[in-house]
Amino acid sequence: MKLLMTASQIRGLPVVTVDGGEDIAEIRDVIYSPEAGRLVGMTLNQRGFLSGRRREVLPADMIHAVGQHAVMVSDETQLVPPEDAPDDVAHPATERNVLGDDVLTEGGTSLGAVVDLVLLVGGKGEVVGYQIKRADGGRGYIPLPAQLAVSGDALVVPDVTEEFVQDDLVGLGAAVDDFRDRLGLT
Amino acid sequence: MSESFRGSVGRKVVSRASAQELGGINHLVVDGRGRHVASVVVGRGKKARFVDWAQVSGFGPDAVMVTDETSLRVPADDRERAAAEGKLELVGKRALSELGNELGLLDDVTFDANSGALEELVIDDRRILASSLLSTGSYAAVFDKSQEP
Repeated sequence: MKLLMTASQIRGLPVVTVDGGEDIAEIRDVIYSPEAGRLVGMTLNQRGFLSGRRREVLPADMIHAVGQHAVMVSDETQLVPPEDAPDDVAHPATERNVLGDDVLTEGGTSLGAVVDLVLLVGGKGEVVGYQIKRADGGRGYIPLPAQLAVSGDALVVPDVTEEFVQDDLVGLGAAVDDFRDRLGLT
Repeated sequence: MSESFRGSVGRKVVSRASAQELGGINHLVVDGRGRHVASVVVGRGKKARFVDWAQVSGFGPDAVMVTDETSLRVPADDRERAAAEGKLELVGKRALSELGNELGLLDDVTFDANSGALEELVIDDRRILASSLLSTGSYAAVFDKSQEP
């Protein structure tokens, strides 16, 4: 059983230092690599009401943990100026955004369109599923293999994914390991 | 002898040299790692004065004895200036695990009155050993991941 959260729940979370207990920034947005199946980093805002964007970014390698109430970093030096950050964090490629992409099985069935990313609570930015909008308008959750075939329009998932579509995050948390077992990934 | 942060609020601070009462405890401040009482804060805001733990000669049930009047000093750095405004007060502070999940609010902290070493932190009905505390700051007290539910 895994505890999960969506990427939209991460936006606005404080960035807190493990070594100091200080809130040094807050999450503006997450940067995701569909090919890698994980966050590559996060962009930041200043902390506080009506405060603006922070120039520094938080590369995924610098994340201590992504929790339900805070993104933890070991200390303030983990926030880096864009020129010192990996290129995919400093200059994210907007055309690789998976939001809105159609999820197609290898057999050619559409499961729905991606509306959000699902992450492991307490992890370092591993994306284990997507929230999808189904053809009937309802929301669902699908687990992901670690690697995906993905273009700007659609992503292709194994046929077995259809059996693992869940109605809520709790269901997905229970299904992720079974799903990866079935794919022989664990 | 074990003392608590909550229980010591308001206790009088007395000069051992002159027997003069110098004020009452506003709150106690711990060091950055949060393992030890660093200082006793008397008064608040602009009037806050700090007594280093080394200047405390006896932390008793009725009074806290300090060396003399000069034991009270003004805040010395940014951390102490934040403490003067009450920003580092542990009682009521948000408790976070290092995995970024909230554990609750700190109700109280117990410490050894002789050494100043923290003993336990109370969160709701739980008592957590001070050895699990990683840091304390203005936003949160951070605990290691063994304290995750």
